[in-house]
Amino acid sequence: MTRAVPYAIACCAAATLALAMAGAKSAPITSRESVLPPGTELNTEQLDQPTERFASELAGGKRSYLVNFGDLLFSSPDILGGVARQAGMSCGTCHQQGHNNPKLFIPGLSSRPGTIDTTNAVFEPKSDNGVFDPVTPPSLRGAKHLAPYGHDGRFASLRDFVRNVIVNEFAGREPSAEILDALVAYVEDISFLPNAKLGPDGILTSAASAAAKRGEALFNKPFRHDAAMTCASCHQPGNAFVDHQVHDVGTGGRFKTPSLINADFNAPYFHDGRYDSYAQVIGHFDHLFDLGLAADEKSDLVAYLDAVGDASEPTSRNSVQAELDEIGHLGAVLDTAIPAHNKAVIALTVDVVGNEWRELGEYFPGRNDTSVGGGQSERLAARAAARGMALSLREIAMAAASDDYDTAARAYADYKAQGLAAASALKLAEAWSLFNPQIRQAHFAALQRLADSAR
Amino acid sequence: MPSPLTLLTEARVARTGVAVVASCCVAFAVAGAIAAADTLAAGAKDYKAFAAEKIGGALAGGKSLQAAIKAGDAKAAQAAWIASRQGWEAAEPITGEFFPKLDEAIDAWPDAKQGYHAIEAALFSGKLEEVKAPADKLVADLAAFNARLAAPKYQFEPQGLLNGATKLAYEVGENKSKGGESPYSGTSLNDIQQNVAGIEAVYKLAFASTLQARDPKLAGRITDKIEDVEKLVSVPEMKNVDQPALKKAGEELAVLLQSAAGKLKLKKPALGE
Repeated sequence: MTRAVPYAIACCAAATLALAMAGAKSAPITSRESVLPPGTELNTEQLDQPTERFASELAGGKRSYLVNFGDLLFSSPDILGGVARQAGMSCGTCHQQGHNNPKLFIPGLSSRPGTIDTTNAVFEPKSDNGVFDPVTPPSLRGAKHLAPYGHDGRFASLRDFVRNVIVNEFAGREPSAEILDALVAYVEDISFLPNAKLGPDGILTSAASAAAKRGEALFNKPFRHDAAMTCASCHQPGNAFVDHQVHDVGTGGRFKTPSLINADFNAPYFHDGRYDSYAQVIGHFDHLFDLGLAADEKSDLVAYLDAVGDASEPTSRNSVQAELDEIGHLGAVLDTAIPAHNKAVIALTVDVVGNEWRELGEYFPGRNDTSVGGGQSERLAARAAARGMALSLREIAMAAASDDYDTAARAYADYKAQGLAAASALKLAEAWSLFNPQIRQAHFAALQRLADSAR
Repeated sequence: MPSPLTLLTEARVARTGVAVVASCCVAFAVAGAIAAADTLAAGAKDYKAFAAEKIGGALAGGKSLQAAIKAGDAKAAQAAWIASRQGWEAAEPITGEFFPKLDEAIDAWPDAKQGYHAIEAALFSGKLEEVKAPADKLVADLAAFNARLAAPKYQFEPQGLLNGATKLAYEVGENKSKGGESPYSGTSLNDIQQNVAGIEAVYKLAFASTLQARDPKLAGRITDKIEDVEKLVSVPEMKNVDQPALKKAGEELAVLLQSAAGKLKLKKPALGE
């Protein structure tokens, strides 16, 4: 399909759609001064975030320096270039908490929420293929087990895939070996989420329903026109439900077999996000292979996919403590980088963790946000504390930039000591912050009223 | 009539013999000026003239806005809103710090009931009839602000000036990739340029000469950093601003202003409101 909708026209047409979809709890871009077009929804302000679990921690260990550094890089606009960097986008924009982003929508680049054309003239002209071919950024849960990489499986190596995303899709500088090592370490440590309905061998446990068990049998039943094939031929239960191959399943090319683990949370489905539900996916394969499935068989297969794709805690409520935990993990990179006099890593860490503090501070409405009442002195103290932490970090980077690592080490010690008081101020004000759903509703409703007033 | 700032600048140029390179941009009219205030109190008094000029400009713009609304001239009303906003943004180091209640009403966000942003959203979408009442309220608030500021006995405390400039230096680095502070008028770049001019005015009029005498190296670093920030916002459009670089430079300026506090016998500024 050629790019039928010019970018600028699509921007205008899509703005209304995206605004309508966004509702009162989100804040799509409305300004013509913005880097990305009006109507863009990056979906960065979620109260319930995708849960991110790490294989190292699930095994009783801890996240390594490399994993923390990779996590940090994953959140850094600085490793990208061009429009993406200008817009403050990072790997984590499309893969939130190492998962996907079903609401992501950029007019002219998305065919529907949760998709993005990564071979376009906006982010990297040298990769523009002249085709409007948006794809879903996939969940990275279990990515270590899901080679090859890219929907079309064009990269056998995760490292090569990551480099291609940075350099050729998002105009970043050539990443150093250190950066690629860290990003790969991070992505490979993102684990599937635990699911009590699924055993380690890919067989349903007793926690699964009877319908799911019937679906499991169907999943392993030979196709009526090809006895050598079952659903499990490609989605191999003992192999993370993949076969590491690409196939033509009537969607315009050859695409790799996706995993079904935790897939309840991976919609929209297929490489281009054409389906919203398992029922639609099963309908597609029923038609493609002429399976002749009865209605009850289809519903049993849906029950099976639901069971395989489940997770015990798919989302986690964001909170001051959750943000502080994340900041702690990312900031721990400085434990290694400062003694190693690693100026570049210190600078990156300060930028990313400083952003985290800035964003945390913005959870506490300021005095001029008159849509929010109560707790004003606590909110202002919390804002001041978060901002103070960002500036303390900046002192570290400034010292390191001058090769004064003794001062950098002292500033880091001060930063850590100051963090205790900051945490206390932030928690004290949490009830009047955007972590509180009622406060959040009032704030975003006011934003919406302002946007409505401007229509 | 020359502005108070122009007079101050000319007087200092005469005293110091340092030439001021004329700038094509009013926002950076203070660039190159060297404050010669002998004491912090005198510096604060010098700054008061700058602030009075800017708030006076905001009020004049507000009155033009009222007149344009009355005449049903949407284009003139938009131009008046922009003119008023310029003065306000240049005075931002002191608005919230010294006049919190008026700041809350004049610069309310995102509440769409009063203040610049409520007017902006309706005015720039062509709803002239909806902005009469909020424009009247804006002018009343700006007049009250102006009256308090213009009172002969009113003086700015140096501590508050340093707090306000430091806080604004940090805020200049806030992520503007979604379009910034005035998204509906499309004048966010103007806002940020005026903010930088306001920070520069506070520093150069109120603190530079004192700091120069006490720590010339630090004074030089602050001057250089202000120039860095100015360069980063001297671009044709908001989308041309190098956001990561501006954040870094704004934070570095805030850190340097914090580190000047001790030399100025002031407390390290916090970044509350």
